[in-house]
Amino acid sequence: MTLLSDRPTTTESGAPQYARQDRIGRTAVKWLTSTDHKTIGYMYIMLSFFYFALAGLMALVIRVELARPGLQFINNEQYNQMFTMHGTVMLFLFATPLFAGFANIIMPLQIGAPDVAFPRLNMLAFWMFFWGGLLVVGGFLSPGGAASFGWFAYAPLSNSVYSPGVGHDLWLVGLSIGGLGSILGAVNFITTIFTMRAPGMTMFRMSIFTWNTLLTSVLVIMSFPVLAAALIVLEVDRKFGSVVFEASNGGALLWQHLFWFFGHPEVYILALPFFGIASEILPVFSRKPIFGYKGLVFATIAIAALSMSVWAHHMYVTGAVNLPFFSAMTMLIAVPTGVKFFNWIGTMWGGSLTYESPMLWTIGFMVTFLFGGLTGVILAMPPLDFHVSDTYFVVAHFHYVVFGTVVFAMFAGFYFWWPKWTGRMLDEGLAKLHFWLAFVGFHITFLVQHWLGVMGMPRRYVDYLASDGFTTLNMVSTVGAIVLAISTLVFFYNVYKTYRYAPLVQSDDPWGWGASLEWATSCPPPRHNFTVIPRIRSERPAFDLHHPDLASESR
Amino acid sequence: MKVEGGLFTVGAGFYFVVAGIYWYMSQEPIGTTVLSLTGALALMVGTYILFTGKRIGVRPEDRLDGEISEADANYGFYSPHSWWPLMVGTAIAVVFLGLVFAVWLLVLGVIFLLISIAGWLFEYQTGYFAE
Amino acid sequence: MSIVQKFAKHRGVRVGTTGALVLLTTAGCTVDDFLRMGLPDPATKEGPIIESLWTNSWLAAWLVGALVWGLMIYSFIKFRQRRPDEKPEQVKYNLPIEIFYTLAPIVMIGVLAVFTWQGQSELTKLTDRPTQTVGVVGFRWSWTFNYIEEEVHEVGTPGERPVLWLPVDETVRFELTSPDVIHSFWVPSFYQKMDVIPGRTNKFEVTPNKLGTYAGKCTELCGVDHARMLFDVKVVTRAEFDAHMEELRELGQIGVLESGRSTDAAGVTE
Repeated sequence: MTLLSDRPTTTESGAPQYARQDRIGRTAVKWLTSTDHKTIGYMYIMLSFFYFALAGLMALVIRVELARPGLQFINNEQYNQMFTMHGTVMLFLFATPLFAGFANIIMPLQIGAPDVAFPRLNMLAFWMFFWGGLLVVGGFLSPGGAASFGWFAYAPLSNSVYSPGVGHDLWLVGLSIGGLGSILGAVNFITTIFTMRAPGMTMFRMSIFTWNTLLTSVLVIMSFPVLAAALIVLEVDRKFGSVVFEASNGGALLWQHLFWFFGHPEVYILALPFFGIASEILPVFSRKPIFGYKGLVFATIAIAALSMSVWAHHMYVTGAVNLPFFSAMTMLIAVPTGVKFFNWIGTMWGGSLTYESPMLWTIGFMVTFLFGGLTGVILAMPPLDFHVSDTYFVVAHFHYVVFGTVVFAMFAGFYFWWPKWTGRMLDEGLAKLHFWLAFVGFHITFLVQHWLGVMGMPRRYVDYLASDGFTTLNMVSTVGAIVLAISTLVFFYNVYKTYRYAPLVQSDDPWGWGASLEWATSCPPPRHNFTVIPRIRSERPAFDLHHPDLASESR
Repeated sequence: MKVEGGLFTVGAGFYFVVAGIYWYMSQEPIGTTVLSLTGALALMVGTYILFTGKRIGVRPEDRLDGEISEADANYGFYSPHSWWPLMVGTAIAVVFLGLVFAVWLLVLGVIFLLISIAGWLFEYQTGYFAE
Repeated sequence: MSIVQKFAKHRGVRVGTTGALVLLTTAGCTVDDFLRMGLPDPATKEGPIIESLWTNSWLAAWLVGALVWGLMIYSFIKFRQRRPDEKPEQVKYNLPIEIFYTLAPIVMIGVLAVFTWQGQSELTKLTDRPTQTVGVVGFRWSWTFNYIEEEVHEVGTPGERPVLWLPVDETVRFELTSPDVIHSFWVPSFYQKMDVIPGRTNKFEVTPNKLGTYAGKCTELCGVDHARMLFDVKVVTRAEFDAHMEELRELGQIGVLESGRSTDAAGVTE
């Protein structure tokens, strides 16, 4: 059934030539009704990148306001909306959907499947992200403004008495919709991985990115329902007068337990897929297999399992949680994370390293994440956390781990897979400029924030006193933020320039040493991914195909 | 499907053990409940997978010597394109907006949702695709 | 030319290093500050426990960091591609090394855990009968300090920070309550904070042992004026403390205030 009338004219060779406005309409319909995991994945990536830029602008507003003491540009309420929405948009509308985007495009290719298990459900999950996101940021258009109670929405601050505006309700329902969408997406990914692998692709021959997609999806189905339930109950409290999260009923702590039971796995949901991307890129640019494959898989399983038992390390200063249990679990989770790190170093060790942009960005991730991991161990210790909790030390820590992982590995993934997705390579020179601006900008912004926190600057403060002695470091941090913002412009220009002018890639594997199955099909792949699938006898089927002299079998 | 099922059932065991340790150390009911329910979810999924695996036996992708040609020639039906995900997604958004703004919108949303779900389910059962 | 000389020739490296040094000095860092990484001077008897745990943990962290960054940088240099057709040995695993780097971190965090638990049990313990109890009420957006034994109180406003007076060398117990939302009571120089949660009374104890005035801040988002919920802490001699209690009595600020508002007709400042 065609929805638009065809008005083809023919070109000289006799092929039908559609008028330009028809082509736009056709493309729009193709995208609105797509059930192709690659198209859906591209839509996730584009929309989540839009939200990245939006939340980045909010960060700029925050940093510009904080550069000097005194209120220069915005007022208290607007500032509270800025950091609330910056956190919300970054975590829920950028990083989580970005995982869905990468997983969608790459995972079916890596397991030799023609699509995901439930293609229409896949698209539904995207529309739920789309509408959920619109509702969440739609709060900005309401009279009371967007949500301003912090991205954790602690009770009773988040009830209808202390946060009356409709922007808060929109935040709650928007995230409920998006959260349900994430759950559906995760179910799809798990089913696909369990039931649609190509022959010979045993579980222990899947690529690390696919393993991480699987484990991330498992975390999603275990943690997002708790969030969705809490959000919906809070909304019912606000609208229909129930008292579940009422302070006198112990609601304040109940909310925190439920929120953080979701909130901690959420940060691993954010990290694991991007650890997976790093695990794909390092072998290609070291020209060696990933080191310690099975150890990596078990370490990731350990991280996923443990991540559900550490939540109250976000609650040490409530005076209401069992400190020995949570500090032990939290310190324990550092062990498998460290194992992964050593496996990555082991991959490079003895290899033949080149530093094209995917590798540069991956190295940037490793260098940055290491420091975030170390401050994480400091934070795991309650006697130290009592001082630095809720200060800029924590802000610095989580930007190191989250930005260090998600953003650096995201760009690594973009530069790496761009030829596979679009058939063209991104410009290497611009990519390197992008990397160095971002790397330098990031560290200037966030390194000094550790100091600020320890000295005494709390987080979520719109302002500080001139006598506090925080001014210089805040100014430095703001300069760094501006450098970071400029770096993103370089990326936009790169995308535009190569879209217009770059030549098409001629081979299946332009990097030469690709390991997983996506490098055994064309750039970009056909509609159902493969015309021919090579024999699978190890975790590196494309490598075995292209480098038969170095191929090996594995269990 | 032993590895797949084992991932979930061993996970379930882990969560039940952790829930027990947590209760012993803290007597805190909220955390104990969510940990136990997580274990229950994992157990449910894991046992379903293990039972299914026993029923369908070893598949080509479970064998180290699986050949691509062994894959089922009929790879399955993949929806070529569909308007229904957009419809259902929009209906869900209307339902939640109804929760925020007005009950009549909620009711309208639920009706729209039911129609969209029906459209989705019957998309490939009627017309061109009818058997 | 060695690698270091090659690096030092690079203009960027020279600019960067100079910049970093200038930055550190202008930010007002003394050598002491540097070793403590910005931690304020301790003002309590418990402070040194935290301070030493902090500096020792950071030492361990820097050592681990140096090792891991070192291994990475070594790899970047030693294993870079020298000829375009190089085919390195396709090593897939090494069980002894993998076991080592799984067990070694477990041992390290085991040590950390022991010190952590010692510290936290010391810091969270409550004595049987403290000599001084202060009921701290965090409300939107300032603080009430109820001196329980003396039966007087002090209330602040966002515009006029309240001052918490404490007698030096005496263990004071804080009992934290809130009539509205969650706040958090933090004195950076005490290295400790605890949340003020409505529906719950939180308690912790410190023993200030240094005379002086210290800043205090709310550290849990509580609404529009969260950044203005500041207070000061004055640690004074017992005599000065008693004198101040007498002043409060004369001002009529008698009794315990459950919130920031007084129902007392006797002119309490709001």
